[in-house]
Amino acid sequence: MLRFYVEVAQTAFRRQLIYRWANLAGMLANIVFGMIFSYVMIALFQVRSIAGGYDLRDALRYVWLVQSMVMIVLTFGWYDLMLTIRSGEVVSDLSKPCDFYWYWFSREIGRSGYYLLYRGLPTYLVGMLLFGFGAPLDWRLWLAFACSLPIGAMIGIAYRVLFNIAAFWIVEARAFGTLATVIALIFTGNYVPLPFFPAWLRAIADWLPFSGLMNVPAQIFLGKLAGGEMLLEFLRQLAWLLVMTLLVRFVAARATRRVVVQGG
Amino acid sequence: MNAIMSDLRLYRRLILMQVRAQLQYKINVVIDILGYLAVTILEFLSMLIYFVPFPTMFGWRIGEVAMLAAVASFSFGLAELFGAGIDVFDETIRRGDFDRVLLRPVGALFLVASSEFRLRRLGRLTEGILAFIVSLVLLHGIKWTPLKLLVLSISVMSGALIFMSILLMGATMCFWTVQTTELTNILFYGGREMLSYPITIYHQVLQRILLFVIPLAFGAYLPTCYLLDRALPLGLPGWVVFLAPAAALAFASIAVRLWSFGVRRYQSTGS
Repeated sequence: MLRFYVEVAQTAFRRQLIYRWANLAGMLANIVFGMIFSYVMIALFQVRSIAGGYDLRDALRYVWLVQSMVMIVLTFGWYDLMLTIRSGEVVSDLSKPCDFYWYWFSREIGRSGYYLLYRGLPTYLVGMLLFGFGAPLDWRLWLAFACSLPIGAMIGIAYRVLFNIAAFWIVEARAFGTLATVIALIFTGNYVPLPFFPAWLRAIADWLPFSGLMNVPAQIFLGKLAGGEMLLEFLRQLAWLLVMTLLVRFVAARATRRVVVQGG
Repeated sequence: MNAIMSDLRLYRRLILMQVRAQLQYKINVVIDILGYLAVTILEFLSMLIYFVPFPTMFGWRIGEVAMLAAVASFSFGLAELFGAGIDVFDETIRRGDFDRVLLRPVGALFLVASSEFRLRRLGRLTEGILAFIVSLVLLHGIKWTPLKLLVLSISVMSGALIFMSILLMGATMCFWTVQTTELTNILFYGGREMLSYPITIYHQVLQRILLFVIPLAFGAYLPTCYLLDRALPLGLPGWVVFLAPAAALAFASIAVRLWSFGVRRYQSTGS
């Protein structure tokens, strides 16, 4: 069975390879937004040199890290599953001799792998060339980052499958999905890094599942988390991954029991 | 004159028809508008978080940046509302619906522009109004004059026209390839994001592009400087803000000319 899921992931990866131009255009968008936010950071850091433990170089790295990770972790406007529910195609996925959630999970893992190689890495490299902020050289940071990012990506999959499944109950679930995505993106520091948040909001954000999407991997990458703190963040990430996965599987089971197939 | 009046009447009818159609699903429309409103408000609020650790952004205080973002939302929101048909033109081409449009006895651009009207997009305009109120509360003490109100309204309309022209240029490219919609989106959404911050933070080249090539700065940054009694960028004299309609019309006329060229070159996919 595992081999089947690996096949699904590989197929998703390969399918993504076809959209070469779309990926290039998407990368251009990431670069444009990376540049805008870089200029914002440069302007802000004119009045003080350290904010929330970040200096300008950290902030620039952060901006480009976010642009590199966002497609891997939480794609904006991902309604693939929702659309199959609306069109009824979901029935063919449900009748496959495999688990509904793990099927979508494998597909998305394949896509995330693609975006890591063909979107994330090049985007960060372009940022490095444009703004000369370099990358950390400590291999332990890279190792920790390599453990944390996949957990973030898996939380992201559980989360987006969850709000897509809402389409079993609501016909036009897009508005709901967009709102869910924006909330997650705000609380994972897509717009403003969490260290810049006011203390009370930071305290809330730290205990939400979204921190594990991009904030934790980014803090690790920037070397802002030491031994004990890093362990705590890893545990929180893993705990949320477990909770979200159980939740989405529970909801998916409830939803698919409602499905009535009209043959014809 | 008569022709314009009848066009306007037709436009109103076409838009009202769509409004009525969308209002058939009242709960959906309300959820859609509220959802979009919530998204835009959250994005606006999260931008204000920058001012927790930092007192100013390149000399601009929180209320001033809030006003800038609000004005940008007006320009962008109007374009999004009235330019929706141009925005989805790639679909019209792909489905072959444009052939039908060409057969009708009204201008093609007119029909494309009036082919879509989405009530949900009122969400961003509402956010703009709320953001504007927030900025007024944060600033307290702007001296309003009739001239300032005039500058604000003509600039917002000019900005909307420029944003719509960007969409139109993107739509024109669809006559050759439908693969380019992503590029238009970068200019459209990237432009909006850029306008939400003082343009002086950007590289000199980018500032000049925003002023003289794609004159979006006329739709948000320049009028906001005028409202706040700030100097214009690059040492431009104050009266430049009144050139907004001229800049917008010049840009739009280029877009329209490219469009007509595209329409003449258009060959249906046929089958």
